[in-house]
Amino acid sequence: MEERTRAYLRGRFGDHYRRADLTPPPDASEREWGYIPWTSSPGTTMVRHRSLLDLGSIEDFLARERPRHVYFSAGRYDDPSASSMGQKGWRSSDLVFDLDADHLPSVTPGEDTYAEMLASCKDALRKLLDFLETDFGFEQLTVVFSGGRGYHVHVRDEGIQHLDRESRREIVDYVRGIGLEFDALVEEEAVGGTAGRSSPAHKRTLTTEGGWSGRAHGHIMDTVEALLASDESAAIERLTEYDGIGDGKAAAALRAMRENTDQLRAGNIDIHPAFVSVANALVEEVVEGDNAPIDEPVTTDTNRLIRLPGSLHGGSGLAVRRIDRDELDAFDPLVDAVPETFVGHDITVEVTDGGQIELYGDSFTFAEGVHSVPEYLGVFLMARGRAEKGQE
Amino acid sequence: MKPLHARYPFMRAAREAVEAAEIDLATVVQRGDPAVERGLDRVESALEDGTVGEPHRQTRVELLSYPVARVLVSIVDEAVLTRSYARAEAASAHERFTDELASTTQLQSTSGDSLTLRELLAEFELLEHVRPEAGPLEEADRYWVEVGPYLDLAAGQWGEEWRLVNRPLTDGEVPLEESELLVLCRRAVEQRVESGLPLTVPDAIAEPLGDEVAQLRETLAELDLTRDIDTVVPDLFPPCMRALLDQIQKGEHLEHHSRFAITSFLTSIGMSTDEIVELYEINPGFGEEMTRYQTDHIRGETSPTEYSTPSCATMQSYGDCVNMDDRCERISHPMAYYEDALDEADEDEVTDWRESQES
Ligand code: SF4
Repeated sequence: MEERTRAYLRGRFGDHYRRADLTPPPDASEREWGYIPWTSSPGTTMVRHRSLLDLGSIEDFLARERPRHVYFSAGRYDDPSASSMGQKGWRSSDLVFDLDADHLPSVTPGEDTYAEMLASCKDALRKLLDFLETDFGFEQLTVVFSGGRGYHVHVRDEGIQHLDRESRREIVDYVRGIGLEFDALVEEEAVGGTAGRSSPAHKRTLTTEGGWSGRAHGHIMDTVEALLASDESAAIERLTEYDGIGDGKAAAALRAMRENTDQLRAGNIDIHPAFVSVANALVEEVVEGDNAPIDEPVTTDTNRLIRLPGSLHGGSGLAVRRIDRDELDAFDPLVDAVPETFVGHDITVEVTDGGQIELYGDSFTFAEGVHSVPEYLGVFLMARGRAEKGQE
Repeated sequence: MKPLHARYPFMRAAREAVEAAEIDLATVVQRGDPAVERGLDRVESALEDGTVGEPHRQTRVELLSYPVARVLVSIVDEAVLTRSYARAEAASAHERFTDELASTTQLQSTSGDSLTLRELLAEFELLEHVRPEAGPLEEADRYWVEVGPYLDLAAGQWGEEWRLVNRPLTDGEVPLEESELLVLCRRAVEQRVESGLPLTVPDAIAEPLGDEVAQLRETLAELDLTRDIDTVVPDLFPPCMRALLDQIQKGEHLEHHSRFAITSFLTSIGMSTDEIVELYEINPGFGEEMTRYQTDHIRGETSPTEYSTPSCATMQSYGDCVNMDDRCERISHPMAYYEDALDEADEDEVTDWRESQES
């Protein structure tokens, strides 16, 4: 990036921050703050271990320093500006989740457009929120568009603040479905054992009440109902797609489903050995389909620095936006995260890496060379390193 | 001082009883009170059979032996001892309160000297986080525990069924059977006992305990829990560990218990995180950070001098014991397998993997 481009972006970030109305996170003064300045040196270094006391008010600091990126810590400390974690004196930490298009299995980097990547990310976000709200019952969630390739969720419920890394990793594994084991999921219960029977039989059930078990049960019932609704040969063919299920087993499993549908509904999956194998495969399907592919180290790190909502992302010129929970469906990052400051005027840029881009509801195709473009597009291209500032 | 205090000496009320009686630990130790012998027995039993031994028939002696035991553990100050001791206190307490709670519900004891579930939960600040599914607390057979406290206590438990992912977590609560709730309480005891250890022990208390401390050190040495292998020869690894290492090198995902087994094994034979990551042949930039993190994490749970690698029995129960060979028949622990293999190998033919990496 050329010096004039850097100076331009820094200046315009400053204009943005002077107008912006930022709500800092709760307990801002107990957190560590960090930022990356607009420097020319190749290795970008973060200035960190700052406290609010060092920075003054966040708004003043941003308008004065006009940093390229701004972060605050998930953790709260006795002394947030101490230079080592040990000296900081950890008190508590929000639980933070990061969904990044780069880590999504459904995204093919280099093939999917930016808009497609963000759409996949939003799907993953919905899955994540379902776990956090339905399973974990969290109430204090802040959903944030990261300004880059994904979303963050900050959980601030009292009950999770003191959790250590190990416990947080259990939460990560939960939403990712890691370590989910069919045998551990099903409850084994001794049944029978009444007079005349020497040893009680064992009944394996999936609890229908919630968790992965409830999800698995839901998926099993959906599949069972679809199979029972289709004709026999189609159902058998579908069943034989599972490993280890031949025609015979498939027919047996299907018969068992038909005769024991009520049992299945109640969670008893031990209706036939062949069906247990099918159920096992369905559980794997559910994990694959429902897990939320979050970035593990972000969540387990109780000292993590995360982008400040309301700040600008120096690698895109987009705003890091808090999203109201009920506006999530309507939220379009490529429109709603375009900062107002950059809307309404054109600037000249020298495009070094042409291509096609959708932004602010428009689709732009541009070649290398000097162009006059809407400022938000110019800022986006320059921040991404695909253009330099041109002469006005 | 009540018998209840002697049975559960880690409880706050027990500690208060000791304080109220104005007993000076230094005096107890200096005059060679029977509590010293019983205190030593607590710790030795922890090492020998994972319990705290037979209680002394005098309540006072039994109760005082607890602070003595903590002092002994603190002076020796070996992670493996502290850990085993805390586990043993917890195991014995668990056995006692499990019996006691079963009999109180039957007899509806009102003597005031038996522990109730309510008291047990209150002791560990769990009462407001645990809700009986139906009926009064003492009579329920299923409980709902808030996820935060559940994780605090269950995240360190060994076994897939304790993993949150395998629990029907619903609206922030985890359902548990009564026996499972008591296992969480055992863990709470373990954490309570371990907290604050090692204590700073004044000389007036430490000096008279010289013989007991020496005896404990000797027992530790005999059990050979702190030996140092520090030789890395993958060809001599037990079959289970070779198989796990193979899977990692092929880039396959391992379950937590498997990851734990191989990492604690490699740690126990003296490898650093960097060396482990290198041995795993993880592509730089791809998964390296995660591996490093997980490795560090597992190392944090263990220590190089500690026998934390799962035993063959545990490996077998998780399906991690594969390709057993003749040597496997003679041993009961993968570490023992490896040591035996090292002992038998011709010294000249053994090359440490780390040395071959340097060239
Ligand atoms: S017997 Fe023990 S050492 Fe041998 S493979 Fe099984 S777990 Fe490993």
